[in-house]
Amino acid sequence: MNAVEFISKARRGEIDLKRFYRQLFSKLHDINDKYECFITICRDEALKQLKNLPRGRLYGLPVSVKDALCTKGIKTTAGSRILGDYTPPFDSTAVARIKAEGGVIIGKTCMDEFGFGGFSTNCAYKVPKNPHDLERSCGGSSGGAGCITSVLDEPHIAIGESTGGSITSPASFCGVCGFTPTYGRVSRYGLIDYANSLDKIGPMAKTVREIALMLKVISGHDLKDQTSRMEKVPDYARTGSVKGLRIGIPREYFKDVPDDISNTVWKAVKELESMGARVKNVSLKTTKYSLPAYYVTAMCEASTNLARLCGMRYSLEAPLKGNFNEYFSKIRSKGFGQEAKRRIILGTYARMSGYRDKYYLQALKVRTLIIRDFKQAFKTCDLLAAPSMPVIAPRFDEIEKLSPLENYLMDILTVAPNLAGIPMLSVPCGKVNGLPVGLHLMADHLEEQKLINAGVAYHG
Amino acid sequence: MAEPKTIIGLETHVQLNTNTKLFCNCPTTGLDKPNTRVCDVCLGFPGTKPRFNRMVLEKAVAVALALNCKFNKLMPWARKSYFYPDMSKNYQITQYDVPLAYNGYLMLDFEGRKKRIRIRRVHIEEDPARIIHVGGSIMKADYVQVDYNRSGIPLIEVVTEPDLSSPAEARAYLNKLISILEHLGVYDAANFVLRSDGNVNVAGTKRAEVKNISGVKTVEKAMAYEVTRHRNLLRRGAALKQETRHYNPKTGLTHSLRVKETEEEYGYIIDPDLSWIKLSNELISRVRKSLPELPDERAKRFIKDYKLNVEQAGTLINDKSLADFFEECLKKHNPLLIAKWIVTELMKSLNYHSISLRESGVTVKGFLELFSLMDDGIITSRMAKELVKDYVDLKKTPKQLVRAKGLKRISRAEDLLSTIKKVIKNNSSAVRDYKSGQGRALHFLIGQVMKETGGQAEPGKVRELIKKSLK
Amino acid sequence: MPVKGISRDELLHVAGIARLKLTGEEIELFSKQVSDIIEWFKELSKIKTAGVKPSFHALETINVTREDKAGECFSKEQVFSNTDNKEKGFFKGPRIV
Repeated sequence: MNAVEFISKARRGEIDLKRFYRQLFSKLHDINDKYECFITICRDEALKQLKNLPRGRLYGLPVSVKDALCTKGIKTTAGSRILGDYTPPFDSTAVARIKAEGGVIIGKTCMDEFGFGGFSTNCAYKVPKNPHDLERSCGGSSGGAGCITSVLDEPHIAIGESTGGSITSPASFCGVCGFTPTYGRVSRYGLIDYANSLDKIGPMAKTVREIALMLKVISGHDLKDQTSRMEKVPDYARTGSVKGLRIGIPREYFKDVPDDISNTVWKAVKELESMGARVKNVSLKTTKYSLPAYYVTAMCEASTNLARLCGMRYSLEAPLKGNFNEYFSKIRSKGFGQEAKRRIILGTYARMSGYRDKYYLQALKVRTLIIRDFKQAFKTCDLLAAPSMPVIAPRFDEIEKLSPLENYLMDILTVAPNLAGIPMLSVPCGKVNGLPVGLHLMADHLEEQKLINAGVAYHG
Repeated sequence: MAEPKTIIGLETHVQLNTNTKLFCNCPTTGLDKPNTRVCDVCLGFPGTKPRFNRMVLEKAVAVALALNCKFNKLMPWARKSYFYPDMSKNYQITQYDVPLAYNGYLMLDFEGRKKRIRIRRVHIEEDPARIIHVGGSIMKADYVQVDYNRSGIPLIEVVTEPDLSSPAEARAYLNKLISILEHLGVYDAANFVLRSDGNVNVAGTKRAEVKNISGVKTVEKAMAYEVTRHRNLLRRGAALKQETRHYNPKTGLTHSLRVKETEEEYGYIIDPDLSWIKLSNELISRVRKSLPELPDERAKRFIKDYKLNVEQAGTLINDKSLADFFEECLKKHNPLLIAKWIVTELMKSLNYHSISLRESGVTVKGFLELFSLMDDGIITSRMAKELVKDYVDLKKTPKQLVRAKGLKRISRAEDLLSTIKKVIKNNSSAVRDYKSGQGRALHFLIGQVMKETGGQAEPGKVRELIKKSLK
Repeated sequence: MPVKGISRDELLHVAGIARLKLTGEEIELFSKQVSDIIEWFKELSKIKTAGVKPSFHALETINVTREDKAGECFSKEQVFSNTDNKEKGFFKGPRIV
């Protein structure tokens, strides 16, 4: 039973929600022991929610939330030790909208610390295991979300977050659907920032229909986020046909991808073509510059966001010894993991007065070129199609051997569309060596509906 | 040898009197109890986003217009990163590359000369929290207490070029600035204190920046201390450092906080949480049209309509409450008389106590009692001068004072003659001088009678009676 | 010969600005890793961007503002629920000097 069917049954009173949730939570604990997908499971809060549940569009539906989104009264760590005891006194807008529609928050999913990683191995608490092979990564940084979406049989939708590919990567590695909306489509209020000009909240689910349902709930302007879009939100569930849809194949996105993955993706493209879509080749020449442009931009923003975590008001604390430089340094050195420290240092460096033009501003100029490239492609295409990731889920022992820079290079297929702020959807399109491969579909700004249409047609 | 030339530039932070903070809906009033006017945004909780208050823009545009500035039309917000316990996010949201306005000026009347103080820029930024150093001064404290009520109050920063050539001129500039702000109605002196950073440079020495000086007179004192310190160092041939200093109002001294080797490392980036401001010509002209009468125009009107002299008009418009007070008094009395009494007598007492009109408690109604007491012949103008002083000293109105002291004017001959006789008897040499034709001696004798009667005698009557007695 | 990437001193300087005190092990590790990444960042300089404006956002938003109307503040409980460093209605923080 998928989420859509479950909700209509629940609304008709055909499901005993109390019983359902008691069973669900005992199962979740077992799942978490095995796969380590949750940082926090919030049984008590969920059961409390049931007592006065709005009969809305998500009535009774279990929803997991990436631990980067603030949840009122529920610990929110963003995967970091420095926020180990942080319990926000407010809900993020996405979570508030889900609750208002009767969605039930079941837990906070594992992630790389502040989203800093592609394999969810940079988490201070747990490392989620890939349901297809426990020796392998779920991808990241929304790895816990990908994991629970794949492993849970019960109806459920996950809320993930992507800055440079953090929804697409776990969706691809775990074999589920992951949707990254247009920048600003979903309010970022209450999302613990990684890089504010790039962060996007989006749903992950087994089917694209479920994604359409959730996307409608969380999208739309929010007074609490002045970068959120004002445009009207369509009813994504009313899908249209893919007939005549023009799908562009950017050749740069297949260049360094192993043949077995690229063939799997091509097969999916052919299937869309057989449904009436028209396929054509395009070129996105700026692709190769997108990685350093992305990392400079993201790290510059991230290093300012994390400055507030200094042992006052809410973060990790210690007795007040020493002057503020000594105290702040002590807390921060203890509270941040290694990747966070690296990114803070790199981000601080790239915006220093001597380097600001060379790195920070230059990266943003390159971003302009990347956006132009996409805009040009969308003049003749409705969608672009590519592999979601250039690899299948790697083993943990392989990941360990990667240098930080080699880690970053894994994001080559996702950072450009993330920099451009365009919506994208990863849907499972087959397997290589028994492990899932994702088809990545990208659309122009605010053209989420086209992605949903193609996704539902291809995958359901 | 001439004293070395002093150059001072000021960066002044003005809290705007909007209803709510710059980036959240917390009120800007009722700040007394710590941490009661705070929310997720101004406390810098992770995940919260700033929400720009459009009223701040309107008020800031008004200030920039009043300071004759040019405007930028498209502006991002910047994050100015530095760690400090009063910064909720450890970055301040401000305008950096592109300030709201630039290249303006303020006309200063100082020591009888008109001087144009150039304004380099006017920009908007958020106020940090208030910190209290527990266990002594900033140099000795064990820890700090932080009150975030102030965190996020809208500030405009007004930056001058280094055009001020003395601490007294710096003070005059600030008074004029405040008067402009108060005429605009964007600043509430009763609730918010002005804070300035002062850059001092004597004879081309390395400049020292004194941070965060509260008030107006304090700026003059801090600058004066710095100028003296610089001169002393120069005289001794000691090397000056470019540094940031802190002024302690209790001791009147400045202390070095840090030596600046290079430009401070603020790592500015554009704040990606806010949309850009596009300043329309419509907005500028709408604000321009609604600008109230500003101090300089008001002075012109005072001179034209009320025939005041330049100095009187200048003194009045330099303090909005004083100018308002003046105009309020005019409903009953003639402008020249009122202006004279305010500018000479009232100001003398206010300046003596170093207080503002507001602080003095002097009201229009109370002040006007002086004139009715004089008109009714109850007091002399000499008594009135004393009453102005006592009004400020004792916070009692002229009528209350007259009642309490039992004061009245003495003009009847039978009440004055005995005193006059006594004075003539005790001042035989003056009487001789008078009789030998020295007119000044008469003034002396009148003065003695006034003194004897505690100023209550009517001088004209006294004059008449002395003349008669000495015939 | 100019240092590739970042020198040890500069690494420590930047970490200091960010209020991070690195362990000996971290200094060792980061010197190489951070240097490699900075060298890689330099790829950006090869791209011609003369006359190109930076994109601070992918999608611009202009003049999104709010009304100057007071709203709810935090309750005392909400204000202090995440800290032990508090006294008499104040937060406590480290001293300056």
